[in-house]
Amino acid sequence: MSKEGKEPMFSAKNMQSFTNPFNKNNPVLVQILGICSALAVTVQVKPAFVMALSVTAVCALSNVILSALRKTIPDRIRIIVQLVVIAAMVILVDQFLKAYVYDISKQLSVYVGLIITNCILMGRIEAFALSNKPWPSFLDGVGNGLGYGVVLVVIGIIRELFGSGTLGGIKIIPDAFYEAGYVNNGLMLFPPMALIIVGVIIWVQRSKNKDLQEK
Amino acid sequence: MKKYKCSVCGYIHEGDTPPAKCPVCGVPAEKFELIEDSSTQKKSKGFLGGKDSSAYIIFYSVVMVVLVAVVLAVTSLSLQDKQNANIMNEKKDAITASMGEAIGTYDQLINAFAVDNSGKVIESISADDALNMLFDLPAAFADGTYPVFENKENGEVVIPLTGKGLWDDIWGYIALEGDMNTVKGVVFDHAGETPGLGAEIATPKYQAQFPGKEIFNNGELVSISVVKGGAEEGDKHGVDAISGGTKTCNGLENMIRNCLTYYVPYFESKTVGANETNDVEPVNTESNE
Repeated sequence: MSKEGKEPMFSAKNMQSFTNPFNKNNPVLVQILGICSALAVTVQVKPAFVMALSVTAVCALSNVILSALRKTIPDRIRIIVQLVVIAAMVILVDQFLKAYVYDISKQLSVYVGLIITNCILMGRIEAFALSNKPWPSFLDGVGNGLGYGVVLVVIGIIRELFGSGTLGGIKIIPDAFYEAGYVNNGLMLFPPMALIIVGVIIWVQRSKNKDLQEK
Repeated sequence: MKKYKCSVCGYIHEGDTPPAKCPVCGVPAEKFELIEDSSTQKKSKGFLGGKDSSAYIIFYSVVMVVLVAVVLAVTSLSLQDKQNANIMNEKKDAITASMGEAIGTYDQLINAFAVDNSGKVIESISADDALNMLFDLPAAFADGTYPVFENKENGEVVIPLTGKGLWDDIWGYIALEGDMNTVKGVVFDHAGETPGLGAEIATPKYQAQFPGKEIFNNGELVSISVVKGGAEEGDKHGVDAISGGTKTCNGLENMIRNCLTYYVPYFESKTVGANETNDVEPVNTESNE
């Protein structure tokens, strides 16, 4: 393990672990992780956005910590160790949000706590951080957090626009539309719609990336 | 028996010497590294018998848990004042908002105190104590202390509300005009009602129905009902329910009624000068509690 040699900080390999999650290894679209929260927090754009940032922070931090500790963690309890670290990070983030940006933390309410159950965190720690050095793990964490966030925000935009006619709380669809008989799509407000949108995005992505298609 | 690992492909060879050639990738013997098998590993790793021994695992978990607990406790304690101040400000803003006053005017406008079962002001409870009751309103109600927030300038009062929605707690503030009957405004909030359905109670649009409604009818508390299918035009005691949010609306209706019931003696003591007939009512209403 010590023979990895010195790599430049932004070597191609490191950058790949950062950029892959945006496309060919997207946690939501390809690994199908974090679907649960992608359904729960995307009714509006704003919580989706803050959730994305919080997940990125927690994912990067817990990746770094567990990567630094990886040689000391006993195999048999490694999942528990991971959970403890993630839970601690999430509580810290939650506490800081509550103390310094109370408004945003109110908007997120339970969602911050839900980060603990986000499969992306455990998935990345198991798959990457436990076998890599802290710096690549950090990049991997940030990349996956953002890759998750991009999908979340896209779903949020679609759902909020068609479900409530607003974006980030600002009215987008003009009143004239409503007067002409336009009605907000109530189904957009329900989680199943998010699942359908995820499905459509996966479809679009796979039709563009031939190597993601299963034969 | 020793184990050798191929440094190129990871193939593990068991034997006293490394194989001349790796059977998987074909590299020569010098590419093989000696690895210790688990039985020798345990003995060689000194600290508490190695990484996979029970002693090490127990030690590791204890240290980890204690460390994490300390970190969390320290953060929580050091941020607590700031968090409470935030929550307090939010409550103050909600109180003034229900009266239709601007944000941040609480300290100039509001006189906070608490009343008891018979509607008398409890002198031993200070304004700050009354405000602090909002942190655990159900407990304050259970103790028989009912906080009231009075506008010093025009005698309007704000009554805090607490109840249960469909999924979780709902709460709010109802502001009454000086006659202790007409609703000046309301603010509701919730911990986890369904977005787009029950959660609509927290929107200004829904709350805009309440001003002008009356909670008493001929001296009897009728509170405000949430009417399915929509309240009739001119209904002084009813507001529209939310389609798909029936459970939350029922919770809202119960919350308003239950909480206002506690304050009936107080309302009557305030209006006794204006309306003598209310004088006899307290006996009836108190039994409702």
